[in-house]
Amino acid sequence: MSDYADQISDQERDRIVHDFITHSPPGEVETILNDVRHLLNKDGSSNLDKMMMSIAKYRLEQFTPVVVDKENVLLTTHGALDNNRFLDPRSKKTFHCNVAKKEVSDIQAASSEIDQNAEGYRSEIDNGLDKYIKEHYPSGLLTVYGKSSGGSISIIACIEDHKFSPENFWNGRWRSEWKIEIEDGNAKVVGVLKTQVHYYEDGNVQLMSHKDCKDNLTVSSEKQLAEDLAKLIAKCESDYQVAINANYNSMSTTTFKALRRQLPVTRTKIDWNKILGYQIGKEIGK
Amino acid sequence: MTDLQLDYALDLMRRLPPQKVEKNLSDLIDLVPELCEDLLSSVDQPLRVLRDKQTGKDYLLCDYNRDGDSYRSPWSNTYDPPLSDGAKPSDRLRDIEVSANSAFDSYRELYYEGGISSVYMWDLDHGFAGAILIKKVGDSSPKIKGCWDSIHVIEVVVSLGRNAHYKLTSTVMLWLQTSKAASGTMNLGGSLTRQVEKDTAVNDGNSHIANIGKLVEEMENKMRNTLNEIYFGKTRDIVQDLRSLTPASEKDKRQVVANELKSKFGK
Repeated sequence: MSDYADQISDQERDRIVHDFITHSPPGEVETILNDVRHLLNKDGSSNLDKMMMSIAKYRLEQFTPVVVDKENVLLTTHGALDNNRFLDPRSKKTFHCNVAKKEVSDIQAASSEIDQNAEGYRSEIDNGLDKYIKEHYPSGLLTVYGKSSGGSISIIACIEDHKFSPENFWNGRWRSEWKIEIEDGNAKVVGVLKTQVHYYEDGNVQLMSHKDCKDNLTVSSEKQLAEDLAKLIAKCESDYQVAINANYNSMSTTTFKALRRQLPVTRTKIDWNKILGYQIGKEIGK
Repeated sequence: MTDLQLDYALDLMRRLPPQKVEKNLSDLIDLVPELCEDLLSSVDQPLRVLRDKQTGKDYLLCDYNRDGDSYRSPWSNTYDPPLSDGAKPSDRLRDIEVSANSAFDSYRELYYEGGISSVYMWDLDHGFAGAILIKKVGDSSPKIKGCWDSIHVIEVVVSLGRNAHYKLTSTVMLWLQTSKAASGTMNLGGSLTRQVEKDTAVNDGNSHIANIGKLVEEMENKMRNTLNEIYFGKTRDIVQDLRSLTPASEKDKRQVVANELKSKFGK
């Protein structure tokens, strides 16, 4: 155990702190930061800047919602502009955000940040998906980005829903990220779906799940693509959820049962005196 | 100060993904090396298996049969790698340990129908303590990987007269993992910990084992039910809270129909 006494390098310490922060379960990054800061108290606040960068990275990966002029917007890498500014493509505004603290300020009308070549598709898809989100996500949020380059248009749709219940010791978050590449009347669709649940009353149980999806759609108009895409995404996400439920069933009815029985084959609890008597019998018999 | 530090460290361990508990723990020890011994004795890790070179039987490794970098086998009572002065239970307690190992071997066979078990005991000033470990790796389905680790730590305080006080702290770790085309990767894992205390009459060493056996059996049966509820009920419900398979408009329609039925036939 002597290796543990060796001091780790500053670099290694920063790596560990970064890992802890970026692996926080949904809704718990502030508590994790607080724990880490207390453990590093001897080092003062010299690491604080790096920790804030780790938290910012975490929040963007988690699609953290913030409120901009009373409207919800997701913080994601796709909306990140220079100088800690972000784009809300739906309201066509840009804003400054201290991501670590989730503080929004200096809201301005967007202009050059909106790609006009992609905007037609972007807004139709935003509308189409918004109806879908309202149907299937009790507190779901959606932010859709658009960009063009040469003859192709790329749309990125980020979906987030979370429920935090720290008073009942659980938190959960769903995230989906859909990338749509539109070119020559064809749309390539790629999605990543992620679910994480943390239950921690007298324990620590976590569900971590993710699935990659891929499909193609033909494009005749902006409106029609938006409709087809909403249908496709609804199907992929429902299929994923049905498959997770099926896994829950087989894990519980097959895997779990085979690990440990509820009662021995005899259907009665163990007679410990008999077991011990049997052992003594074996000893004497030797 | 260090006590508080340990609280923060343990809070981290109950939040960081349990699927990476070994890596998180070794990182945490690197970060606060002064908490090393406290953390190793209070954070449970998945049980590792080693084969006893003398008896050829497998045994389980934990902090309770570790001395330095060596581990003691409950079967041959020797350390691997060998240690001449490794900690061992007194002769009297070793007798109880031997009987406990065979009793829990039968227990394991009856409830787990496989797996590995090990019992370790150590002397205390006013009694003794023990760790009862069970590991079972699931092989029922090729598509879903499963693993169960039980860690029961029992403290026995023997008072004058014929009573003993038992304090049991049990942790069960349950790991489930699958990767399929339809569901993608799904990893459901972690641990639950429960505690119970009880006073019971004692006659001899064997009645200690019977008392401990009953406590552990009752605790594991209860925890199995709780694991069932939390893993396959609670976490699943939370997923359904995040996304609803039934569209909201469908739910509203059903509610309207339900209300109509109620007003027609209700009361």
